[in-house]
Parts: sequence; C-alpha cells; structure tokens
Amino acid sequence: MALRVIVGIKWVPNTQAVRFDPKTGTLIREGVPSIVNPHDLDAVELALQLKERYGAKVTAISMAPPSAVKGLEHVIGMGVDDAILISDRVFAGSDTLATSYVIAQTLKRIGDFNLALFGQETIDSSTAHIPAQVAGWLELPYIYYVDRIEDLDLEQNVVTVRRILEDRLEWYKLKMPAILGVAMKSQKPRPVSIYNKLRVRMENPIKVWSNKELGLDPRCLGLKGSPTLVTKVTWTPEVPRKKQVIEGPPGEAVKKLVEKLCGEGVLPFEC
Amino acid sequence: MSTGEAKPKLIRVEDLLQRTVYDVDHRAHIIVDPEKCARCPKKPCTYLCPASCYVLVDDRVVFSYEGCLECGTCRVICPMEAITWNFPVSGKGVQYRFA
Amino acid sequence: METKFDVVVVGAGPAGASAAYTAARHGLKVLLVERGRGAGSKQVFGGRVYAAPLREIYEDFDKEAPIHRWVRKERVSLVHGDRMVTFEYESDRTVSFTTYLTQLTSWMVEKAVSAGAIFVDEVRVDSIVRDDAGKVIGVESGGERVYADIVVDAEGVNRLLLEKLGLAEKTRPSQVALGVKEVVKVGEDKINERFGVAPGEGVSWVLTGDVTGNMPGGAFIYTNKDTVSIGVVVYLESAVNMVKEPIHILVEKLRTHPSLSRLWADGDVMEYAARLTPESGYRYMPRKLATHGLMVAGDAAGLLLNTGYTFRGVDYAALSGYMAGNAAVKALEEGDTGEENLRRLYEKPLLESFIVRDLKRHRGIEWLMSNPEFFKKYPALATGVACRLFDLEGEAPTVYEALRSSASDQGLSLLRLVLDMFRVVRKL
Ligand SMILES: Cc1cc2nc3c(=O)[nH]c(=O)nc-3n(C[C@H](O)[C@H](O)[C@H](O)COP(=O)(O)OP(=O)(O)OC[C@H]3O[C@@H](n4cnc5c(N)ncnc54)[C@H](O)[C@@H]3O)c2cc1C
Ligand SMILES: Cc1cc2nc3c(=O)[nH]c(=O)nc-3n(C[C@H](O)[C@H](O)[C@H](O)COP(=O)(O)OP(=O)(O)OC[C@H]3O[C@@H](n4cnc5c(N)ncnc54)[C@H](O)[C@@H]3O)c2cc1C
Ligand code: SF4
Ligand code: SF4
Repeated sequence: MALRVIVGIKWVPNTQAVRFDPKTGTLIREGVPSIVNPHDLDAVELALQLKERYGAKVTAISMAPPSAVKGLEHVIGMGVDDAILISDRVFAGSDTLATSYVIAQTLKRIGDFNLALFGQETIDSSTAHIPAQVAGWLELPYIYYVDRIEDLDLEQNVVTVRRILEDRLEWYKLKMPAILGVAMKSQKPRPVSIYNKLRVRMENPIKVWSNKELGLDPRCLGLKGSPTLVTKVTWTPEVPRKKQVIEGPPGEAVKKLVEKLCGEGVLPFEC
Repeated sequence: MSTGEAKPKLIRVEDLLQRTVYDVDHRAHIIVDPEKCARCPKKPCTYLCPASCYVLVDDRVVFSYEGCLECGTCRVICPMEAITWNFPVSGKGVQYRFA
Repeated sequence: METKFDVVVVGAGPAGASAAYTAARHGLKVLLVERGRGAGSKQVFGGRVYAAPLREIYEDFDKEAPIHRWVRKERVSLVHGDRMVTFEYESDRTVSFTTYLTQLTSWMVEKAVSAGAIFVDEVRVDSIVRDDAGKVIGVESGGERVYADIVVDAEGVNRLLLEKLGLAEKTRPSQVALGVKEVVKVGEDKINERFGVAPGEGVSWVLTGDVTGNMPGGAFIYTNKDTVSIGVVVYLESAVNMVKEPIHILVEKLRTHPSLSRLWADGDVMEYAARLTPESGYRYMPRKLATHGLMVAGDAAGLLLNTGYTFRGVDYAALSGYMAGNAAVKALEEGDTGEENLRRLYEKPLLESFIVRDLKRHRGIEWLMSNPEFFKKYPALATGVACRLFDLEGEAPTVYEALRSSASDQGLSLLRLVLDMFRVVRKL
C-alpha cells in the first residue's frame, strides 16, 4: 500500500502587517493580506520529503473561507499532490474544539491516510490545540515538536520520529496512522516550482468540501459547537524601560554596559 | 500660518518599513561581499538604499535583506560589484498593496 | 503535462498583462508568469495614468478599471525652503486618472485571464532559453523549462533576464532614477476639501527644487480616493555624489513640509515603497526590441517619458505590450517568428508610434536632468522673485528689479538666466 500523508494548513492574516492604532486602541487590518501559516510550511516540507523518500501521496487540507484557495495553490506549487478546502458558512465562528472536530471528521472521511502532519502552532492564535485535539477525537497516537522522520516501516505500520526540545532530543516509535506536530523553523521549506504551479492551473487539484459532503451535526459546528467564551481582551501592559543606547566600538560599549548594570545592582555577582 | 496642529514628526525608517507588508523568505535574495565593501570609498548604498538595508557599524557595512523593497538601486550603484542580486522566489519578499 | 505554449510572457506588469490579454483574445495559447504573489504585489509607481491608450486596448476600460479620481488640476511647483511658486492648470476632461498600480495591474491580469491566458504567480523566471542557433525557445525557472514559439520579455526596469541574454548591458546609474513613495490615508472628504476638488476629481502635482535635496529629480503628490501618494524621484548618477542623508528622509521631509503637510494632516502612512524607473526613455532602449522568438516591452524596452511635469510609463508599457501581442498573432499566422519578421511586425510600428516620437522629441530633458545647477538655482530664483514681489514690507519692486536681485543672490547674471531659460524651453 502506498503511503498517504495529510498536511493541515491554516490561512491566517499576515500578522506582521497588522498594526495597532494607539489613538483608537484597535487593530488596523485594512488591506492586510493572508498567508499560509508559516509554521505549516515546515509540515509541508517534511511531508514532501516523505514523498521523495517513500513515494507518498500528499494531500493538504484546510478549513477556511474560499479565499484560502490561494494558500492551497501555494503548497501545491511546492509539490503537494492535491488539496481539500473545507468551507461552509456553518463552520464560521468555530473555536479550536469545533475546528478540530471538523478536521478529525475530514480525516476520517479521507480514511486511508498513514500520517497527518500539522504545524506547531499558528501565528494568529498560537493555541497549538488543533493537532492534539484531532488526535483526541480520532484516538490516534500523537507527538509534537517533531523535526525528523527517522524511519518508516510500512510492513509493521510503524514510524520512528525525532522530537526536538529545548535541552534534548527524544526518539519515539508510533503505530500508524498517527498525528504529528512539526517543530516550527525545523525545516527549510522549498520554493514553489513552475511545473507544480502549472499543475494548479491545468489539473484542478483542489476540491471543496462543504458540510454536504461531511454531513456533520450542526450542533457541533461553528458558534454553536464552540464552548469557548471570550470574556475580555486586554493588552499586555507596557513595561517602562530606560531605552538607553550605548554607542561606540563593541568592546568599550560592553564595558560601559556592565558598569551600568553593576550600578543598578542587577547582576547576580559582585562587581 | 498656524493651524494649531502639532508639527508632524519624521518617522524612523524602521517604523516606515512596518507600514509595508512582507513575507520574508528564509533564503536571502541578495548577498553582499563584505571584503569589497571594506575597500569601497563612498559606500553609496548606506545612503541610497531606501530601506536602510545597508548600515555602517564601526565602519563596516552590515547588510540585512529582510526589509528590502526590491527596488534595484544597490545593484546599479555599487561600484565594486560586491552584490549578488536577485528577486526573491516563491512570491516572498515585499507585498505591495497601495502603491 | 503540456509545457509548450504559443506565447510565454515574463512579468505581469502593465506591459506583460496587456501582451497576454491581446494574444489570448486572438485565441493564442498564452502563459503569463509573474514572480510576485497574486497580480500587482510587486508594482510601484507615482500615481497618474493617461487613459487613451488603455481605452484602445481594453474595451471595458471606462466601465471596469479601478479609477480613483480623474485629474482635474495639474500643478507644478518650484520649492525653496518653505517658499513655493506654483503653476496650476485646470481642465475637466477625462484624460488621465489616479490609481494604485497594484490595483490597475490586478485588473489587467484579470482581463488577461478571462480572455483565456494562463496566469502563474509566485514563479521567478531565471532565464530565457535559446537553442544552439540563437532562437529563443522558452523560459527556465528553478531548472524547469517551459517552451514557447514566442517569448515576450516584460520584466520591467531591472532587466536581469535581458542582461543574462546579452541583449542589454548592465544598468548604469546614469540610466535610471530611484523613486521612493509613501501612501498616506487622509479620507475622501478631507481630500476634496483640502485640495479643492469635487468627488471623483483629483490633483496631479509635481514639485522640484530643494524637495529633492537639490539633487536632479522631482517630487510628486497625487490624490487617490481616500489617500494621497507622495514621493521623491532622484537621478542616481547625481544622487551617488550628492546624497547627504539617507534617502527616506527626503520623503519624510516632503510629508512634514511646512507648506504641504496640512494637506494630509493627521494622515496615517499606510505604505512605504520604492522602485527604479528608467531615466527618460531612449537611452535605456536596448539595441533591438526583438530577436528570433523574442520581443521586449514596457520599462524593459526603456519606454518611459518624464518631462518633469508628466510621467508616462504605464500607458506606454500597456501599449507596447498590446503591440507585442498583436505582432505575436501575426507572426504565428505567417509562421515566421524570425528576428527580421518580429522587428518588422513589432519594432518598426513601435518606433514609428507616438511613444517613440515623444521620447525623441523630449530628449532635451536628459540635459536638464543631469544638470544639478538647474534644480538648485532656479527654484530658489523663482521663489526669490515671488518673495520680493509679494512679501512686501517696504517699497514694491518692479518685476525686473525682483528678478535681478534674486538672480544675483543665486550668482546668476541676467544674461545667463535668459540663455538657460531659452535652452530649457527649446528642449522641453
Ligand atoms: C469563540 C471563538 C470563535 C472563533 N471564530 C473563528 C472564526 O470565525 N474564523 C476563524 O478562522 N477562526 C476563529 N477562531 C479561531 C479558531 O478557532 C482557531 O484559530 C483555530 O481553531 C485554530 O487554532 P489555532 O489557530 O490556535 O491553531 P493551532 O492549534 O495553534 O494550530 C496548530 C496547527 O493545526 C493546523 N490547523 C489549525 N487550524 C487549521 C485549519 N483551520 N485547517 C487546517 N489545519 C489547521 C495547522 O497545521 C496549525 O499549524 C475562533 C476562536 C474562538 C475561541
Ligand atoms: C517612482 C515612480 C513613479 C512613476 N510614476 C508614474 C506615473 O505617475 N505614471 C505612469 O504612467 N508611470 C509612472 N511610472 C512608470 C511606470 O511605473 C512603469 O513605466 C510601468 O510600471 C512599466 O510597466 P512594465 O509592465 O514594463 O514593468 P513593471 O510594472 O515593472 O512590471 C514588471 C513585472 O515583471 C515581474 N518580473 C520581473 N522579473 C521577473 C522574473 N524574472 N520572473 C517573473 N516575473 C518577473 C515583476 O514582478 C513585475 O510585476 C513611475 C515609476 C516609478 C518608479
Ligand atoms: S556600494 Fe557596494 S561595495 Fe560599496 S559598501 Fe555598498 S555594497 Fe559594499
Ligand atoms: S534592492 Fe533597493 S531596497 Fe533592496 S537592498 Fe537594494 S537598494 Fe535596498
């Protein structure tokens, strides 16, 4: 049986472009373009390596409004085989529970996958809930911060992965199908290629699934299926800083800096 | 003629670049040979790069590609052929919206 | 998968989009390749476009194009310090309009796609491919090749591909100018009020003098729907020697200029942008605009006119793309994409068109643009004269007296002044 890999993609506003208007206390979102969540490109890259090593078929999925087609085109441009856009008004307003439910049901419907890869977290919400919750819904093994697939045994249906933590590396064997969260910045995502982009235009590799295809209970979807209540949004208070700039050649500047810090009594040793 | 409005202040280049959208690639699209810069008499890039990608730190030219507006100026004015210049790939780099 | 097209167009700017649209409308199999994400995302210009050529190319232009305001007032100012002498011309015709080039280009690409062209974005072409006989046979990107009977190079001012092909020499500072621009959000009503225009009507305004730090070049102000585009253009050859502070400071000084800033007071800077532009045409034109299997259009062909009071690049680019598209259709009909035939079908009519005639007629502007003296002394002179005539505190001078004393401030004799003026008028 050929290896089948799914990658989850989120279509997010480019948060670098969102500015804060200090006068009104609101976010300036006008004309802010969306991008594929950058950390998901690490997952795509890892999936494409599996394609090269094991001939895997790679499918991208995204639950998002129709404009996310641009993002799916981007990852197909990188080499992903095809994509499913899960898009329906009834999904609007979903929190992570409802989102992960829809994604889990989509995976179930796809059926014959061996691995589902996700990014570590998103740049616009950063909960890192989705992959864990998807694994929960499907009762599948799950490991996050994966930076390498060491080995893949299709006969035994076992994958060996490496996980990268701040201070150590760990190795795990998982029974497939399995869910993996890929460590952010662990890969160097490859560029889009002209042949793959032409494929987007000529072969229609993107399917759209609405809830007609999935047939999920509306009570579990969208706002209704989202128990999370956002009660208040606050800003992190600005920490008063002295903002001093020490000029001069690095050697002298460092000396001055140490003297100043000594003067402030903030160094953990006697000066 | 005073209208009572506060005199507008100059915006620093770092803050100007915040107004422009980027999708920065992990690959640098411009590479600069610092040894040639060391021998460059006028270092015009440090004034004429509109994004201040070239800055003098202790007389050395330090280049960073992240804020590049892809104008092409440095490619044209560098007298030392110190710059390997190309556009970013994959649609990365600057993303103009209102220009 | 098919990787052979009738026409591959490199670069989806006004030139490339118009070439693709024209060729696709005539039933050719066209691929339009753009390095940016989506259409228009790498586009930067000043702010005003002449409509006539676009009307000729795009039937639906008046109905559909993203037009912000029709230019009703043309202003030219000589600036010295916080003094300014301004000429204004008013007309109520729909000759030119303001817009964002990002939007206008997206619209053109949409038209090309609906005419049947295939648009591929996020792909940087690395080279134009030739066979052993020197015939252009396609393009290459990331080691992958796409073939075509005809390639249209519309890569814009930074001609990496043409240079690689040996069709253009490496760009020199004397051939190009740098434009740096800010888009400031002001609000539609405030613009109408502060610029004295009715809804849908706008201002095109060029300024020269110390707004460029006395470097050859100029500054511009265009009113869009609810924003203004302001910016500075400096000729690189002089700028390299004359620049005294980082270039972004020039635009920031324009934005905060004591006589101008109230026009966009409290406005938020929405975008900061920069790009090169060919120094007014002709000098930047490659030796030939077509070779076997290849045509060059738009900025890459050096088709830009900057007279100091108008800036024409977008319409010229679109028109040359249109001509290249039509030439492709004819050449393929005739079954001859050789150099001679493409030059006959494309280069010859282009050189005979009003574009190139304009460029030739305005060639004197090059003298002006490379003459730093002019940019420093004359704005100072004009504002000096105006100041003596209008800022009266004592006896009122005659115009002649004001002129003479202002000229002597600038170290100019009246004879020299008359001679210079004569040269300028003749050359424009
Ligand atoms: C009350 C409430 C209402 C909300 N309403 C909306 C709304 O209307 N629209 C909206 O877009 N968001 C909405 N959200 C946010 C949305 O629920 C979360 O952004 C989403 O569930 C993913 O969580 P995250 O971004 O933290 O992803 P993480 O859990 O941090 O993401 C980890 C990885 O999961 C994958 N992933 C995440 N999201 C998706 C997806 N949609 N499709 C495929 N793969 C994915 C990616 O690989 C990603 O790297 C709402 C949240 C709340 C609390
Ligand atoms: C500051 C400034 C102000 C201006 N003001 C005006 C004005 O007010 N009015 C006016 O009419 N004109 C103005 N112009 C000129 C005008 O912008 C240009 O003449 C016009 O945009 C040229 O169009 P083009 O299609 O030839 O090139 P471009 O608009 O430069 O388009 C080239 C396209 O090719 C793409 N490309 C380049 N290389 C590759 C590659 N290797 N692979 C794939 N894609 C590639 C680029 O991303 C770009 O989208 C101004 C220019 C500047 C710089
Ligand atoms: S102009 Fe060229 S050589 Fe000189 S400092 Fe700049 S990059 Fe270096
Ligand atoms: S291309 Fe322009 S913005 Fe980019 S580094 Fe060079 S001068 Fe600066």
